Amino acid sequence: MATTLKDAVARKPVLATIRLIVPAGAARPAPPVGPALGFYRLNLMAFCKDFNARTQKYKAETPMQVTLTAYKDSTFEFVVKSPPVSWFLKKAAGIETASGRPGHNMVSSLTLRHVYEIAKLKQSDPYCKHMSIEALCKSIIGTANSMGIEIVKDL
Amino acid sequence: MLPLVRPGRAAAPLRRLCRRILLLSSSPQTPSPSSSSSPYSTKISPLLLLLSPRPSPASGGAWRWRGVSSCAVRAVDVGGEAASTSSDLSSPYLSVRIRCRKEDAEVLSEGLLCFGATSVTVDDIAAAGNLDEITITSIYAHGEDVDSSVSNAASSAGLEYKPVYETSVGKQCDWVTVVQETYESTKVINGLWVIPKWRTPPDPQAINIIINPGLAFGTGEHPTTKLCLLLLRETVKGGERLLDYGTGTGVLGIAALKMGAALSTGIDIDPQAVTSACENMMLNEENKPTGGLELKSSKGSYDIVAANILLNPLLELVEDIIGYAKPGGIVAVSGILTEQVPKVEEAYSRYLENISVSEIDGWACLQGSRKA
Repeated sequence: MATTLKDAVARKPVLATIRLIVPAGAARPAPPVGPALGFYRLNLMAFCKDFNARTQKYKAETPMQVTLTAYKDSTFEFVVKSPPVSWFLKKAAGIETASGRPGHNMVSSLTLRHVYEIAKLKQSDPYCKHMSIEALCKSIIGTANSMGIEIVKDL
Repeated sequence: MLPLVRPGRAAAPLRRLCRRILLLSSSPQTPSPSSSSSPYSTKISPLLLLLSPRPSPASGGAWRWRGVSSCAVRAVDVGGEAASTSSDLSSPYLSVRIRCRKEDAEVLSEGLLCFGATSVTVDDIAAAGNLDEITITSIYAHGEDVDSSVSNAASSAGLEYKPVYETSVGKQCDWVTVVQETYESTKVINGLWVIPKWRTPPDPQAINIIINPGLAFGTGEHPTTKLCLLLLRETVKGGERLLDYGTGTGVLGIAALKMGAALSTGIDIDPQAVTSACENMMLNEENKPTGGLELKSSKGSYDIVAANILLNPLLELVEDIIGYAKPGGIVAVSGILTEQVPKVEEAYSRYLENISVSEIDGWACLQGSRKA
């Protein structure tokens, strides 16, 4: 293991960062969890049990964003965040998939009101708490544009 | 589609019986008396596994079945839909390695997740050193259009170039076996160990439960399994009947038998778990007499009921779980975090008295005895 100055600063050496989308309360050793964690020999069942227990308070099957940090000693930590903005947008717009050519093909439109509601939901996520509503709205509008969803003032 | 009814068999090798799922000819009737709108009581079809200790051979080798034991595996239809919703575990998946610039990695990962990837892994950026490019590994379900997903992700991330990538097909079994090899023997407490089947017990005198984990839960490492095993250690004196609700690998049922219980029954909604439990039972050389056991008729007859599952099922199935215990019998529930204990206590205090809670590492186990 490298003994750089960075490692010496009380931080366990990180092997990889894994981002997943897992339905709340429904983590199983099947893909996506299985191969992603299995590749680094992490304890799958412990993750599934832990994740499922911590996401009991959410509506079942809601896709939650999970960021896992795998350390070189085969231990890991993970944080559970709210569902991705794209999921909220798809639900609000009632579409299944985003546009293949954003900017050229628009698949749906939403109003500023929708954006505001999503921003409020996102603010309850502890990882977005530091952002102002305005900043969140701008970020959501950006995501919507990259998905081919038009944001209009009124529908 | 449910398999047909098969008559019970008196003696048959475990291997064959394990793979049979027998359907009780009882009328479909949910065991849970709670409202039928609860998602669990209408969808699950618990598979039943009966265990009982090997009877000591009275006359030498007359009926000692070397390495052979039998178990009855029955699917109880609780409302029509018996199909398990777990995904096909032998299906392949696509593993895509993408190269992109270091500074684009973050945005590109977001894009990939947005456009159909089920997971994105970035190897440690710091370790990449001075390289300009970094590799992202992404997993897709089989049959997904990787090409359009990658190009959509790249365009939504604002990349001017299309990242180079290569796709390979991965198989489930590859990583399952790899992870299994990392399991070590676990000491629960002095004199009680859980050993993976490929290791030798460090203490041959102790109670050693041999487990092949497979894809079921219960290797002995998790705090909740330990909590339940410790509880069993205290409460099993000899001759009890135990119900392991949500049996996983069957570790709790097998442990109880080794500690002296007379009968262990395990149920689970996951067919993988029942297969795993059957195998583990064989590894521990326990056998059972066949013979029908109607799950419903055994209500109210168990001395100990152990349920190591999750908060929501525990709350939904309170009455079902309590129903299996006899008055004065012990009910233990786990798989809950310490912060979830108040909710569980509130739901269970209606039926249990002498409630006590034990904790390890932020996980809790609640036990009590059923009110008469």
